[in-house]
Amino acid sequence: MSLQQLFSTYGGMYVKAYAATLEMTVVSFVGAMVLALLVTIARVCPISPLRRLGDFYVQVFRNVATISLLIIFYYAFPYLGIVWNEMTCVIVTTILVAASFGSENFMSGINTIGVGQIEAARSLGLSFGQILRQVVIPQALRSAVLPMTNLLVAVMLTTAIGSQVPLNPQELTGLVSYINTMSVGGILPFAVSALLYAGTAFLIGLAGNAIDKRVRILR
Amino acid sequence: MRDALFEAPGPKTKRKILVGTIISSIAIAAILVWVVLRLYQMGQFDASYWYFFGQWSTWRFLLQGLAGTAEVAVTAGVIALALGILFMFGRISKNRVVSGIFRVIINFFRGIPSLLLIYFFFLVIPSYGIKMPAFWMLTLPISLTASGVLAEVFRAGVNAVPKGQREAALSLGMTEGKVLRKIILPQAIRYVIPSLISQLVVVVKDTSVAYVVSFPDLLQNARVLISNYDSLVSVYFVVAIIYILINYAINELAVRMARQSGTKVVTRAQENPV
Repeated sequence: MSLQQLFSTYGGMYVKAYAATLEMTVVSFVGAMVLALLVTIARVCPISPLRRLGDFYVQVFRNVATISLLIIFYYAFPYLGIVWNEMTCVIVTTILVAASFGSENFMSGINTIGVGQIEAARSLGLSFGQILRQVVIPQALRSAVLPMTNLLVAVMLTTAIGSQVPLNPQELTGLVSYINTMSVGGILPFAVSALLYAGTAFLIGLAGNAIDKRVRILR
Repeated sequence: MRDALFEAPGPKTKRKILVGTIISSIAIAAILVWVVLRLYQMGQFDASYWYFFGQWSTWRFLLQGLAGTAEVAVTAGVIALALGILFMFGRISKNRVVSGIFRVIINFFRGIPSLLLIYFFFLVIPSYGIKMPAFWMLTLPISLTASGVLAEVFRAGVNAVPKGQREAALSLGMTEGKVLRKIILPQAIRYVIPSLISQLVVVVKDTSVAYVVSFPDLLQNARVLISNYDSLVSVYFVVAIIYILINYAINELAVRMARQSGTKVVTRAQENPV
């Protein structure tokens, strides 16, 4: 199959698939960031059941095999009376897994803040919430830019699990297997998807480096 | 560090914390009760869904799957190590063309999902007449995607060796190759051992798509169990827990080794957790 044939037959589907991958990536990443922030706050707060819950959450979701989680949501949850559509399953899975890594990034961001700063804030009489909002989170966010860029790429790659459920429209990985079952596609359909993934990852990396250069705290 | 965020609580705060503890405990307990109740209402505690976990044959079958998982993970891990070092050498080469080529290779394998590569080995390569057993259709793509990440991990290790050592070795008359082999690599590898171990978690997770190429790993064998006993929820639940425990153990090992050697685990955020 030549490139021209490929695009004339499947060009529209590639556009849709790329859009689906990007959409799931963005939604999952935003969701994961919000959840990661909440989990991180739970992990640093003085209330010990919340702390332990946060730690437990991270251990569970960063160690579970992502595919097994997706399969549970898609195939097992209907038995419990909970039915989500394919895209929701993919996004929820990605959010849950990515949030555990995101929380780890935030934690190591927090760890780079000097204890002296926190002590200074406390001796100024700032409350726990004030310390978090005004001292910790702004700095933790800044030093988490590079790890979070990597996480965004990881989130994009994780949405490839969408190929394991009947997603409509398909995303980039599912489309390759679809094209190969419809016709003898050879290496080309694969190469197009791979380049779209790797190219996007490259651009995300460039953007992340640029942002990091602007906001990084020099210590 | 996270304990430094608040003062030793006074009586007022202690009361607040106590209230918070009680409320959050109740909330967590309520969620647990709701989940259990839901499972109960849907009849998921029915003995027919669970009795076979009391049989040795069930566990033997799952363990066979686990052996398959381990086989793929270890083989892929070893290949990825070798390729990772090779890619890293290419990347740090003084020759700009070579280092540029390897930069592209590394970023390519880091930038595509392992599932896509598995489909490539499963669908595309056979169409060119190359026959390959399922084991390799799974192991090779996993090693390739892991090797891109490992190359960067190794590079971080090489960069962590102080520059003065290389200069000292060169001025002693050692050749570049010898410096790399005898001075830099031994230390660099020591630095990155914990990170390498924690990358094994990624490889183990990647193996769980083995059913795509119908290789009998843990998840694939679980699917067979499900069709035999018609009990989807309980089996997937148990399998997910097995994965969590294995990866947790690997992770703990990495953290412990890092503590022993006084190094840091290079962040796991770079992994693509398929």
